[in-house]
Amino acid sequence: MVKRPIASCAVLCAVFGLAGCKRAPSARAEPPEVVAARAASMLPHDARLAGLYRASCQNCHGNPQSGAPPAGYHAAWDPRWSQGLPVLLSHTIGGYNGMPAGGQCFACTQDDYRALIRFMAGAPADAH
Amino acid sequence: MLSRRTLLLAAGTASVATAAAAAGDVAVERSRDVEPAAPPQTDARGNLLWRNWSGIQTAYPAQRAAPESEEALAALVKGAPAPIRAVGAGHSFTGLVPTPGTLVSLDNLAGITSHDDGALRATVRTGTRLGALGEALAGIGQEMFAQPDINKQSLGGALGTGTHGTGAMQPALHGGVISFRLVTANGDIVTASADQNADIFHAARVGLGAFGIITEVTLQNRKLSRIRKQLVLRPTQDVLDDWPALKAAHRTAEIYIIPFTGTSAVITSDPSSDPVQPRGPDAENQAVLDLKYLRDVLGPIPALRRIAAKLALATNPPQIAVDDGWKLLSNERPLRFNEMEYHLPAETQIEAAREILAVVEAKRPDVFFPFELRCIAADESWLSPFYQRASGSVAVHAYYQNDYGFLFELVEPILRRHGGRPHWGKLNSLRAADFAALYPRFRDAMQVRQQLDPGQKFLNAYLKEVVLS
Repeated sequence: MVKRPIASCAVLCAVFGLAGCKRAPSARAEPPEVVAARAASMLPHDARLAGLYRASCQNCHGNPQSGAPPAGYHAAWDPRWSQGLPVLLSHTIGGYNGMPAGGQCFACTQDDYRALIRFMAGAPADAH
Repeated sequence: MLSRRTLLLAAGTASVATAAAAAGDVAVERSRDVEPAAPPQTDARGNLLWRNWSGIQTAYPAQRAAPESEEALAALVKGAPAPIRAVGAGHSFTGLVPTPGTLVSLDNLAGITSHDDGALRATVRTGTRLGALGEALAGIGQEMFAQPDINKQSLGGALGTGTHGTGAMQPALHGGVISFRLVTANGDIVTASADQNADIFHAARVGLGAFGIITEVTLQNRKLSRIRKQLVLRPTQDVLDDWPALKAAHRTAEIYIIPFTGTSAVITSDPSSDPVQPRGPDAENQAVLDLKYLRDVLGPIPALRRIAAKLALATNPPQIAVDDGWKLLSNERPLRFNEMEYHLPAETQIEAAREILAVVEAKRPDVFFPFELRCIAADESWLSPFYQRASGSVAVHAYYQNDYGFLFELVEPILRRHGGRPHWGKLNSLRAADFAALYPRFRDAMQVRQQLDPGQKFLNAYLKEVVLS
């Protein structure tokens, strides 16, 4: 996902000195190197899902430089997960901000997308 | 590219100078960012939406497949509903992929299958994504001659659309292909090289997925090399004047003209034995967001935008990185956009770029993405935009949430007038008769295609307009 909303907030804060622009501190914020190392190494346990993940999702969600929420990073994923799986699934299939449609995984079924979203968000396998 | 802090400072200064009038309320209509409406997730038959990277191409394929072997793909092609279209990462902006028939992902046909250390060759499955390919080739001490700007595409998609890097002596990716295996419409598997099925080799090396599905290619690579990459900001007019010298002096050279600033970024790279100096956190995408911010705030007043950018850019030192080429020359590019890119005769590239810059700065203050100028060596593939022609490319981008009609209305006429051939995967309005006029061997290529696919199994609606005259 692109960081546009955050960037816009930072820009407005810097230029116009707006108050109240600080991001809410997250209890789960972690050092960037920890986030990057975990994102780069995480793989789904299921072999087929791992193959789909490696071919597509990991290209962005395994690399914080891409701007996508890193896999396993709750500080980035929890606000998204709070929108509900159907919303995230819709953004995945149709694309949203920096997220390209289908997550560039065109071998994925809707169930695959659901499982991959849960995996990256660190949500239980039956969560929805 | 830009220092965010200095850019903000300059923007802030300029904002104060213009008071509230420039602070957004007067933004032109066309600069408004509108998330494109998402089509339904499924169609009336329950088929799942496919959409390209930028969101402007859509389809609801009746069947999706991701075969796990070449044999499985061949069996699929025999009986699957047409049109059968292969998809990689969906990075094409033209209608190459959309199909109501069968969408084939080659994600399960990926990786290096064999390599030759002495000849510096590697045989690679075409579902391999370019980012993964760079790393895999490095593991065997090799690298491709050309590295495209974006690392997300599949090798098959990149080859099939004539995707390229930059460098006056470097051909596009397909220039490194010395043989390939093609699954044809009747399920046969054909091997083609300059010595075997030569017509198929020359016709289908850049094949748009219209000749069949290429599953595997053997690449002529070179020894993995460390490079020193440098980015400097310079006045645009000086850079454009110096372009012939820049191209001649460096292994890779490219220009990013930053519209409404009078400034361009020049990126060059050359082999180096210097100690590794990693590229560090990506600053280029943030820089583009900063340019967007300048557009948002000062867009309606280009003169002020130029002053603000000049103040910001004046303090930016050169950016230098030293590392393996595949790590430095391909990029993430998470900001989505739509793009038009034409490949022109090398001698007309700069004149065309100057005209485009002038017309965009005169008529479209909503544009903020830099224009990209690259250079590509000639090759012999019949449908290559670089066929027997050393070329200079000009690429113009529009943020995916913004109107891109100006690419057709203002930019394309200039590119066509200067003899350009469009990138096969990027926006253009050309059809079969236009391509026949631009490509000396176009009709020969189409004869080969017709022999391989007489039932038009691989042609979707768009391709029928492109290849059938």
